[in-house]
Amino acid sequence: MIATLLCIARDEWRYWRRSRLALSLLIIALILAIASVFVTHTSMQLEAEQRTHLQTLAQQKFADQPDRHPHRMVHYGHYVFRAPPPLSSLDPGIDPFTGTSVFLEGHRRNGATFSEQQQSSGLSWLGTLSPAFVMQLLTPLLLIVMGYGAMTREREAGTFDFLKVQGITPPYLIAGKGLALISAGLLVFSPFAIGAIWALINGAEGSATAMFLVSYVLYILIWSSLILLASTLSANNAASFSSLTCLWIVLCLVLPRIASNTATVVVASPGKLETDFAVLQELRKLGDGHNSNDPAFSALKSSLLAKYEVDKIEDLPVNFKGIVAQKSEAKLTKILNQFSEKQMQEAQDQANVARQFGWLSPAIAIQNASMKLAGTDLENYHRFLREAEAVRFSFVQSLNKLHAENVSYTDDANKYKDHETHHRAKVDAKNWQILDNFHFTPLAADQRISNSQLPLTQLLMLFLLCCGVTFFAGKRV
Amino acid sequence: MNWLAIKREAHFLLRKKQVVLILVAALALSLFAVWTGSKEVAQQHATIERLLKADAQDRQAVLEQQHDYGGVAYYSFHLTYSAPSPLAFASLGVRDVYPWKHRIRMLALEGQIHESDTENPELALAGRIDFAFVISVLAPFLLILLLHDLRASERAAGRLELLTISNASGAGLWLTRAMILSVTLGFALLLPFWIGAILHQVGWITGIGVTLLCLLYLGFWALLSYSVAKLPSPAPMLASILLGVWLITSYIVPAVGHVVIEKSITGPKGGDILMTQREAVNDAWDLPFSETFDPFVETHPEWENYTQMPSLFDWKWYYAFQQVGDQKAQALSEEYRRVAQEKYQLANLFAVRSPATALQRILSYWAQTDAEAAREYEQSVRNFHQSLREFYYPLLFKKPPFKREAIQQRPEFTPNRSTQTNASAG
Repeated sequence: MIATLLCIARDEWRYWRRSRLALSLLIIALILAIASVFVTHTSMQLEAEQRTHLQTLAQQKFADQPDRHPHRMVHYGHYVFRAPPPLSSLDPGIDPFTGTSVFLEGHRRNGATFSEQQQSSGLSWLGTLSPAFVMQLLTPLLLIVMGYGAMTREREAGTFDFLKVQGITPPYLIAGKGLALISAGLLVFSPFAIGAIWALINGAEGSATAMFLVSYVLYILIWSSLILLASTLSANNAASFSSLTCLWIVLCLVLPRIASNTATVVVASPGKLETDFAVLQELRKLGDGHNSNDPAFSALKSSLLAKYEVDKIEDLPVNFKGIVAQKSEAKLTKILNQFSEKQMQEAQDQANVARQFGWLSPAIAIQNASMKLAGTDLENYHRFLREAEAVRFSFVQSLNKLHAENVSYTDDANKYKDHETHHRAKVDAKNWQILDNFHFTPLAADQRISNSQLPLTQLLMLFLLCCGVTFFAGKRV
Repeated sequence: MNWLAIKREAHFLLRKKQVVLILVAALALSLFAVWTGSKEVAQQHATIERLLKADAQDRQAVLEQQHDYGGVAYYSFHLTYSAPSPLAFASLGVRDVYPWKHRIRMLALEGQIHESDTENPELALAGRIDFAFVISVLAPFLLILLLHDLRASERAAGRLELLTISNASGAGLWLTRAMILSVTLGFALLLPFWIGAILHQVGWITGIGVTLLCLLYLGFWALLSYSVAKLPSPAPMLASILLGVWLITSYIVPAVGHVVIEKSITGPKGGDILMTQREAVNDAWDLPFSETFDPFVETHPEWENYTQMPSLFDWKWYYAFQQVGDQKAQALSEEYRRVAQEKYQLANLFAVRSPATALQRILSYWAQTDAEAAREYEQSVRNFHQSLREFYYPLLFKKPPFKREAIQQRPEFTPNRSTQTNASAG
């Protein structure tokens, strides 16, 4: 039994070796796969090194600042950089489309700046030559060219009935040809798998990597069975080929774009600038944290005076300006977070609309599964933004605390009067050691796996559906 | 080729199920692309309208709260934007990658201009389907499907010899059929565009230009498919050859070009600009005033005699070191932009080898939705920021008494040439 299957598969390979077209395409695909793994790996590696270096530099610069008024350091600010995860060398996902660094300062929640896409040649409008691109888009096309005639060829040559008479039932023939097709797919997949081992050495988690590879194998299986199905149902080579190429263009090129158009039409996202206005409006109600005389803080003032049983703010044991800065930063952050959570939710909703199209197209499902498992999807980007915000709030509040406790109110109020008061309103530089080492890591592996449940289910469902239909189609011919 | 023959062949071809299916698919795709493109453009216009309103209110509120020019300049944000052009519905271009709106103020510009209020990155990765994509990527594929088996299908059906000998002018029949198929496909693809162009009030010249360009492009692919279809091979073989050409020119050439350009041209990292500017601005607080005023006066000699400081803080000094911060980052920033420009120019070398990319570039250039347009917009923001500085410096250095009416003279941002808001569009 197995021997017959292998024999059919071997015979299919013999046919491919003889046909120059199939063989040269296979070689081209292999070269592209190897080149893409190599190129993407080296460039992501370089990116990772550069960003880690810039992160260390930013921390160092902060700590090296001279004696200053703490509020100056709030505006001096800090940078955090997003280090790419190890599997991004196979699927960079949205990495080139998002900013790589965020500038953190008081009173503002800045967006990420400098996406690579903006600084590029503009040639990557249809996709970059990443390993994910080769696997998701080009491999199916290769399999189509190699396998469209798997069944129709036998039919056209009249050998189909001959085989039947010899006792080889159609499902058997399909299985054997499928074996050959899958092995061709796995051959092109092999550089990708080697790349995954490379990523594993660089610190990718085993479980996520395994899942990552499994999802791609599923994808190859789906396409193999789609091809066999079309070849089984078609009357001749020409019909099989044209229906398969149409299927490819619809599933791989058209539907993903239709999905993203639909998402923007269905869910409108106003963007950061627009929410900034809403934030400003809320903030005016809060009062200006730079100005402790703002009437918004009079209640705070009287409660502090009562608490310490003094009459004037100059007599308070803490610097009232610092207290105001702390309080207003906390309130402001609450509002900023509220709005940015809302904005992230909108982006998430848009993405969710687009992801539903994965039930129709395996290309969309694999793209999502792949990004999620690699940690280069929208959720992980949002995680970076949230972590950056946590860093921002923590260092700004530490500085505000210094402001309240280490600078006297009188010195602070007179800091521009003369050089001496100016100097007294400063804090010693050794207080700048407040930053922790920041290194962005994506969600934990099990979290990423459970997040990719939807696309993995879509892949599995499509796989079972395709296999089932192919089997029944095979039984009926 | 006569009218009767055309009618007869058209009647025959347009009854084939496969042909009808392809033509309907072409029309549907083009309609969908034009419809969602129009929606997107309308959303962008609406966003700008809302922003303009909120922006004016916000500035008015700031003006009422402030009591000196320095404070007004510090707290006033100004909306800058680039509205989509009438043709943008057909080619959305890179407006989802480059920012087309900012709110800037009198502080150092390098710290503000690189902020991007970009769209959803996951959707940007998947890309959009717009008319430019339909015509440059999908249309050649549909043409190949229609034309590759002109002869091969008849051969497979055993009619080839009969058709060839029974036709008066040998190749005439195939040419007629190819023409009919290409023209109907072109019509199905362009019809939604024409409707969109009328609704968006695209100028006649642009509309005709786009139409001619698309016809030229379709003609090229039709001719290629027609010539390959002459080869005496089975249909799948012919289709494979044509698909190979299509895939290599549309996908592989630009993707390889991208890698080559990225590897061969390197420039300053964007982060370096921000860092340089930040260090310069923040160091200034602790440096003697002369460290700020000397380089400032070098570029602004007219204020040489106004640099005395009445106290330890003065707005003129504050804005002078913002200016100096920009000056220190200037070389890096120019280099950064030059490199981007160079990469984009170099990409032309690859674009001429990739008809799809070339077409997409021309269309997005006409629609002002390409990287060049984004850079032009950035330059207009720079110019506007410069004009703000020119407006405020006399007020800060000469210190006339504060009058809110003086702010009436403040420059307003005006968008570039034909990209002015067109509220009726969409």
